Amino acid sequence: MHRAAFRSLFLAALVAVLPLAPRDAEAQQRPLVFGDTMPASLDPHALFDVPSQFVLLNLYDGLYRYQGNPPELLPWLATGHTVSADGLTWDFTLREGATFHDGSALDAEAVVYSFRRLLRMNRGPAGAFTPVLSPENVTATGPLGIRFVLSRPYAPFLSAIPLVAIVNPRLVEANIRDNDFGTAWLSANDAGSGAYRITPQSYQARVQLDLTRYREHFRGWSGNRAPIEEVRVRPVLETSTRILALMRGEIDVSDSYTPPDQVERVNRNARTRVARDESMRTFIIRMNNARAPFDNRDARLCFAHAFNYEGFNDVILRGQVVRNGGPNPNNLWGNPPDLQPYRFDLARAREYCDRARAAGAPLGREIEIHIQSELDQTVQAAQMFQADLRRLGINLRIVPNTWPGITGATARAETTPDMWIHWVSTYFVDPENWVGQMYDSQFHGTWKASSWYRNDGVDTLLRRARASTDRAERETLYQQAIRQVVTDSPDIWVYNTVNLRGLSRRVQGYQFSPVGSGGEIRLMWLEN
Amino acid sequence: MLLALPALLGLVVATFILSRVIPGDAAATLAGDAATPAQIADIRARYGLDRPILEQAIIHVRQVLTGDLGNSIFTGRPVAEEIAQRLPATLELTFAALLLSTLLGVPLGLIAALDHNGPADHLVRLVSVAGLAIASFWLAIMLQMVFSMELDWLPLRGRIDVALGLPPRVTGFLLIDCLLAGDGRRLSSAMLHMLLPALTLSLPGLATIARFTRSGVLETLQKDFVLYARAAGYGRFRLAAIYVLRNAITVTVTQIGLLFGGLISGAVVVEAVFDWPGLGTYAVQAILAADYKALLAVTLVVGVVYAIVNVVVDVLQAVIDPRVSDGTR
Amino acid sequence: MSLLRRLLRDPVAALGLVIVIFAVLVAILAPWIAPYPEDAFESHLLQRLREPSVEFPFGTDNLGRDILSRVILGTRNALAVALSVVLASTVIGIPIGLAAGWKDGWLSDILMRLTDVFLAVPQLILALALGQLMAPGLGTAMVALALTYWPFFARTVFAETRRLRGALFVDALAGIGAHPLRILLLHVLPNAAPAILVRATIGMGFTILTAAILGFLGVGAVPPSPDWGLAVAEARQYLPEAWWFPTFPGLAILLLVLAFNLLGDGLRDAADPRLRRSRR
Repeated sequence: MHRAAFRSLFLAALVAVLPLAPRDAEAQQRPLVFGDTMPASLDPHALFDVPSQFVLLNLYDGLYRYQGNPPELLPWLATGHTVSADGLTWDFTLREGATFHDGSALDAEAVVYSFRRLLRMNRGPAGAFTPVLSPENVTATGPLGIRFVLSRPYAPFLSAIPLVAIVNPRLVEANIRDNDFGTAWLSANDAGSGAYRITPQSYQARVQLDLTRYREHFRGWSGNRAPIEEVRVRPVLETSTRILALMRGEIDVSDSYTPPDQVERVNRNARTRVARDESMRTFIIRMNNARAPFDNRDARLCFAHAFNYEGFNDVILRGQVVRNGGPNPNNLWGNPPDLQPYRFDLARAREYCDRARAAGAPLGREIEIHIQSELDQTVQAAQMFQADLRRLGINLRIVPNTWPGITGATARAETTPDMWIHWVSTYFVDPENWVGQMYDSQFHGTWKASSWYRNDGVDTLLRRARASTDRAERETLYQQAIRQVVTDSPDIWVYNTVNLRGLSRRVQGYQFSPVGSGGEIRLMWLEN
Repeated sequence: MLLALPALLGLVVATFILSRVIPGDAAATLAGDAATPAQIADIRARYGLDRPILEQAIIHVRQVLTGDLGNSIFTGRPVAEEIAQRLPATLELTFAALLLSTLLGVPLGLIAALDHNGPADHLVRLVSVAGLAIASFWLAIMLQMVFSMELDWLPLRGRIDVALGLPPRVTGFLLIDCLLAGDGRRLSSAMLHMLLPALTLSLPGLATIARFTRSGVLETLQKDFVLYARAAGYGRFRLAAIYVLRNAITVTVTQIGLLFGGLISGAVVVEAVFDWPGLGTYAVQAILAADYKALLAVTLVVGVVYAIVNVVVDVLQAVIDPRVSDGTR
Repeated sequence: MSLLRRLLRDPVAALGLVIVIFAVLVAILAPWIAPYPEDAFESHLLQRLREPSVEFPFGTDNLGRDILSRVILGTRNALAVALSVVLASTVIGIPIGLAAGWKDGWLSDILMRLTDVFLAVPQLILALALGQLMAPGLGTAMVALALTYWPFFARTVFAETRRLRGALFVDALAGIGAHPLRILLLHVLPNAAPAILVRATIGMGFTILTAAILGFLGVGAVPPSPDWGLAVAEARQYLPEAWWFPTFPGLAILLLVLAFNLLGDGLRDAADPRLRRSRR
C-alpha cells in the first residue's frame, strides 16, 4: 500500500474543493496548549476539586503553597506565621509588594476579605475551615498582618491554608449581583494576583480559556529564563482522543491519567513522553459497614481477600501504580512502618466467608457495586472483582452511576450503596485528608466517610491527633488509628496512584506536586 | 401553527419534572469534594432545592415565561449565555450535514432511478438502507481510526486547529466568521475539521433523501406528460434533469422536518466522539453533573428549534406545493 | 401466506429475512454455540487484547474475553430489547392511534397533541435523562425507548384509522349498529395490520440502533453485559491498536439493523405498494 500516494491524491481532491491549501502553520512560536480538564467555574471559592487547582495555582496566590514531591509547605504570599501555645491564635505576616493583576496592592484587607467571602459563601474549600473558624474571627492586625482565631485547636489548619485563593476585593465587590458574592462574575473572570491572567474574551466554560503571563508577579521570573507567554487551555473530553491529540502535537500537556496501556506508546513517540510521579491519590473500594453483610468483620475480610490486587495493579494497570495497604497513601507520614496489606487469597477469603455465613451474614443476597461509568478503571475493577467473587458464591451486581449521583446518595447510610469505587485525591497534605476524614464517625454523611465505619477507639485517636500541635504525638496517634482501622477492614484499599501525565517533549521544567498534579505553568518553558 | 405553543409548554413542564427527579444531588455537586452535610443543606436552601417539587416547577415555568433560563448550577453562569455560545456549533454541524445529505443524496437517487433495476440502482438501494442501519458512534470511531489515527489525513477532534485559534466572534458560526474575517487559513482548517463529523451525521439523511429522490424520479418518469415528451423526442436524461431539481427540493424540504429530530440526537453522539463543543456535549455534561437548570434549557431550546424548523418547513411546503395543506406530514 | 411468497420474490428482502432468522437462531442457541460462553462474565487477565487468531477469531477485549463469544451472546440482548420495546410501544401507541383517528374532536386533539409533545422531545436526550432518573441499566433503557417510540405507532395507526373510517365497509358496519370498539378491533385494526407490521419491523432495527447508542453513552446495558454498544464504548481507549475490539460488535449492529430494514422495506412493498411513501 502506498499510503503517501493515496494521501496526496486524497489531499489533492480535498484542496480542489477547499478555498485554500490547508495546514502547516509556519514556524511561529506556538503557545502552550493545555489539554487537561477545565474546572466548571473559575471562582476559586466556589469549587473544590482537582481541576480547580489549576485556577488556584496559576491565576491566584495563597498565603502558603505546596511545592515539589513529597510536597513541602512553603510561605507564599506570607513570609511566615506564628501560633499561640494553645493552638488557637494564628498570626500571618504578608510580604510586601505583591499586586493584583489590575496593579492594586495585595494587602491584609484583601486576605481578610477573601477568607470571609469563602466562609460566608460556605462552598468548596470552606468545609475545611467552617468547623473551627467563623468569618468575624479573621481580622487584619495591620496593613500586612492577619490573625485567625480558631474556636478549638485544629492541627491541619496550616496544611489547608493553601486552598484559599486571595481575590481582589475591589473587583469582586464591583460585580456583586443579588447578594451572590460576585460569584456569577468571578466564575468567568479573574480577580487574582497569580503568575498568569485571563486573556479577555477568551473564556468559554469547559471549552476554552487563554492565559497571558503576568510579568509583575510577586515571585518574579528570574528562576525561569524563558517563561511561557501564552497558554491555551483546550480540554479534550475523551481519554483516547486526548492521548492522540498529544501524540499528534495538538496539545502539549494531557491529563494525569494516561491509561497504562498507552504509556509505552506515548513514550515511543518522538514528540511525547509520560512523566511518572508517585502521587497521593488512593484508589479505594468502599463497603457500607452500616448494612449487612458488611456489618460483619469476617464478611469484610472475605471481600478484602477476594480482590486480585496483583492482577489489577500489575496486569490491567501494567504496574503503573503502587500497592497501598491502608487508608493513607504510602508516601505520607503517620503510617505504621510494619503495615501488612491484605493479599489476594481466595482460600482464605472462603474461610472468612464461611465464618460470616455461620454468623448469619446474608452473603447470598445480591450485592451492588456502584461504578462511575465514565471512569474506565472503576468499570474494569468491578468486572474483575465480580468474576472472582462468583467463585465464592457471591453475586455482585454492577450499577453504573456518576459522581454527583453517588455523593448525593452517601448523605445517609440507608441510601449509600453496598459498595462503590472512587479515588481520594490530595486536597491538603495531612493524614486528616485521608484517615482523619474517612474513618472519624463525625464525618458520617460526607462521601469521604461513606463506609459508615464507627469505632469509638479510632474516633478518640483521630480527634486527639486533630487537636494536637505536636507533630510527633500526632504521628503516633495516626499510627495507632491506622492499625486499628486496617484490622477492622472497613474498606478495600487498592493502590496509590502514580501520576502519569502525558507531555510534549518540548515542555521543560515540569514539576510535579501531588497538590495540583504538576499544573503550575510558572515553572515551565518550551524548547523548540 | 400556534398549536406548537401548548406543546412547548407541555415540554417545559414535562422536562422539569423529569430532570428534577434525576437522582444526582445538584447541591452535593455544587458544594464540592470536601463538603460537609451542613454545607450541602445550606446550598439546597439557597437554591430552593428543598422546596416542594410543584412549587419549584411553578417558579421555573414562571422564570422561563419571562425569558429567564436561570444560572447553571454547576458553572454559576447564565444558562442562556452558555447555550448561546454553543448552539451555533451544533447548528453549523447540523446544517453542514444536511447540505451533504442533499448534495450527495440527490445525485445518488437520480443515478439509481435512471438505472432502474440495474447495478447502480441496487448499489444505491443497499447504500441507502445501510445508511440508516449504521450506528453513528461506531461509524464515527471507525472514520476517526482510519483517517485520523492510522492515516493521519484529517483532524481528530475539535472545530479548528488549536494553534490557529478562533477568528473574532461575530455570529458564532465558525465558517461564517472566518469568511467575514477573510481568513482563508482558518476557513480551510475549520472545513477540514468539519468533514468527518458532518459526514457521519449526514448519512441517515443522505440515505433518506437518496431513496425519496429515486422514487420521486421514477414516478415522474412514468407520468403522462413525460411519456408525451419522450414521444416527442426528449431524452430521459434531459427530462430527469428538468424535473429532478423541483422534485429534489420538494423531497428535501419535506424530509428536513423529519430528519431534524434525528440530526439533533445524532449530534449528541457525533459531538461526543469528535469533541465538538456544541449543545450535545453540553447536555451530556449537564447530565453527568446533575445540572438540571442546564438540562432543562437544552431540552427547551432544542424543542423550540425543532418547532421553528417545522413551521418553516410547513410554510415552504405550502409555497412549493400548495396542495399540501392539512397536517398529513 | 401470499405475503410471504411475495416477500420471497424480492431477493433483497429475502436476504433480510434470512439474516433475521439466522440472528434469532444465534440468539436462542447462544450459550451452546459461543466458543467460550463463560466469557459473558469471566475475565482472563493474561490474554488481554489479543488480535484475531484461530483461537479467538474476533480477538479478545480489555479483560481477555473472547469477542466472538460476546458478539454471539450479545445477539440475545439486542433482540430481546428490541422485541420488548416494540411490543410495549404498540401497546401504548395502537390504542391512542385508534382512539384519536376514529373521531375528530377534543379527545383526538389532546391525544395527537400529546403525541407531538413526545415527538418534539429529542429522543436521545429524553432517554439519557430517563436513564439517569432510574438506575441506569437495560431495563431503564427499554422504558426510555418505549416511551419515545410509541408516538410513531400512534401516528401510523392514526393515519390508517382515518383512512379506513371513511371506507364503505366501516360505514356499513356502523349502519347495522356495530359497536365502535368492535369495528375498531375486529375490522379497522386487522386492516391496519400491514402498516403496523412494517412499522414494527423497521422499529426493531431502529431500537437496536438506539439501544446501542444508549449503551455507548453509558446509560444502557451494564457491564459485564456483552452488549454491542457497550463494547464499542469500552474499546475506545485501546484504539487504534486494538482495532478488532470495536469493529466486530459494530459490524454485528450494522448487519442486524440492516436485515430488519431490508425486511421492513420488502414487507412494505409486498403488503401494500401504497405505503411506499409513509416511511420515516
